[in-house]
Amino acid sequence: MNVTVLYGTESGNSELIAEDVGAALRDAGHDAEVYDLQNFDPAELTADRFTIVVCSTHGEGDLPNTAIPFAAAFDAAPPDLTGLRYAMFGLGDTFYEETYSQGSEHIDRRFAAQGATRVGEYGRHDASSWDLGSDVALEWLPGVLEEAAAKVA
Amino acid sequence: MTSSPSPQIAIVGSGPSGCYAAQALLRSLPQAEITIFDRLVSPFGLIRYGVAADHQHTKAITRQFERLFASPGVRFAGGIEVGIDIELPELLDAFDAVVLATGIAEDRALSIPGSELPGVYGAGALIQSLNAHPDAASALPPLGDNVVVIGAGNVALDILRFLVKAESDYLGSDVADDALEAYLRSPAARVTVASRSVAAAAKGDPQMLRELALLPRANYSLIGAPLDAGESSDRTSEARIAALQLLVADDRGSFPGPDVTLGFGLVPRRIVGEGDGDAARVTAVEFDSPDGVVSVPATSVVTAVGFSASGPLAHLLSSPGETGRLSPGLYRTGWAKRGSRGAIPENRACAKSVAEEVAADLAAAPERSGSAARGFDALNASVRDRAVSFDSWLHLDLHEQMAAPEGRVRRKVADLALMRSIAQDGGASGATTSQKGHHS
Repeated sequence: MNVTVLYGTESGNSELIAEDVGAALRDAGHDAEVYDLQNFDPAELTADRFTIVVCSTHGEGDLPNTAIPFAAAFDAAPPDLTGLRYAMFGLGDTFYEETYSQGSEHIDRRFAAQGATRVGEYGRHDASSWDLGSDVALEWLPGVLEEAAAKVA
Repeated sequence: MTSSPSPQIAIVGSGPSGCYAAQALLRSLPQAEITIFDRLVSPFGLIRYGVAADHQHTKAITRQFERLFASPGVRFAGGIEVGIDIELPELLDAFDAVVLATGIAEDRALSIPGSELPGVYGAGALIQSLNAHPDAASALPPLGDNVVVIGAGNVALDILRFLVKAESDYLGSDVADDALEAYLRSPAARVTVASRSVAAAAKGDPQMLRELALLPRANYSLIGAPLDAGESSDRTSEARIAALQLLVADDRGSFPGPDVTLGFGLVPRRIVGEGDGDAARVTAVEFDSPDGVVSVPATSVVTAVGFSASGPLAHLLSSPGETGRLSPGLYRTGWAKRGSRGAIPENRACAKSVAEEVAADLAAAPERSGSAARGFDALNASVRDRAVSFDSWLHLDLHEQMAAPEGRVRRKVADLALMRSIAQDGGASGATTSQKGHHS
């Protein structure tokens, strides 16, 4: 499968997770490319590649600063995402309950509004847990890939 | 002219700025060999010693940095202070680039009359005591019934949370129990937190205020400027005001703990004391407020008004800089570059830009030092032998976790020599010494 992994990060945790997810995908024989959302043009989103978004939460449930230009470019010229299938992995901190993991949801809403279909469980990592985000993401990944493969067939 | 394919880079300081700098440099210069020095035996700097002991969720970022130290191109050299154990020029000779990521850690003094009085303490020093920093006093000074906190940024809010919390609120932390118990034996009855700014422009994170509002401790009231968003109505200001309104709301309920007065628009005029010499002590703090001069009775004053550089490299860091480069081959990042502003993640973007400077300079002048820099291996044997490796730190890390009393995730060793011996001899003799030391 061709997979694009996008990450939006403030503290670097999402980057680490995205890189680990990318490496796991390549190990499993997939074609995986990993990009920082701040270096990714929304016009490049394509239904030809399964897309995984790893994104943290900043401030009051906001996107991390590095992901804001992506969201702005997306809103300025919303791409047609019909046929795009994607999975979300959000980072947050239950210590701050009311905004837990909301950052990633800003991306999820945009993708859904433009016709993309979310596949599998919405992955979440809690910074308060001391679990390594990558461990949680790599446990989450196979289920998502299974569903992605099933929908292709 | 031997070819030197691996740039040798030294980073001074293993706190978040140093770790982010190493990550960014590995990205810009994948062949680089990076040595991260720290004057302490333990890595992580501010995360271990500056982030409050009850904010373990913030300390969890060390999981990310542990991965960094496992990279083949990265070496930890703990227990080596640049300017004491090794001179900066020696480092500049041995490395192609030296990046100062020391942070700035000394409490900035308040420059008003009376700020030298006994009973005036820096917030950073108190937090270091609660975090078992080797340089900090293991016991807290008696703060008395009326504590006045000057400043309302996140450090001031850390102090406020400490002043209102009870023993049972530290479950799952790694607080230094000796320091905590000293305070909890005679906790404050009244706390005043005075912010020079109005609430909308204050520096504290709204999350930290909400945390206080949800904690079933203390009763809050307001003096000085009213809570309104005013001109600056960005989301953060609005969220801060909303959180403050939760704190002072009539229906918040009545809780055990101190009576806390939050004051905004209060500009400190002077700290008033009585007595002379050893008998001198703080009695009040006077503020200019929208309602004229306000005098708040004080048995102690905690200043939380930022930090300034200290230590042997302080002269290089006295003012913030636009670029990372201080001189050819010498750079700075994080608070050492920008001053004491911004939370941990902001240092990541800072580190990226400094790493790009380093990479560009090395590309332009690959043989800056004239001789091929050989990095850590070129240092004196005495320095190399003394340096505590990351694997050695892991011995101490494990020791501290194993020594944690019930309800704590860790009991830090605060004695530098003991930290070193536990790290470097694998804890064989250190473990016993620590136990004895603690119960004697």
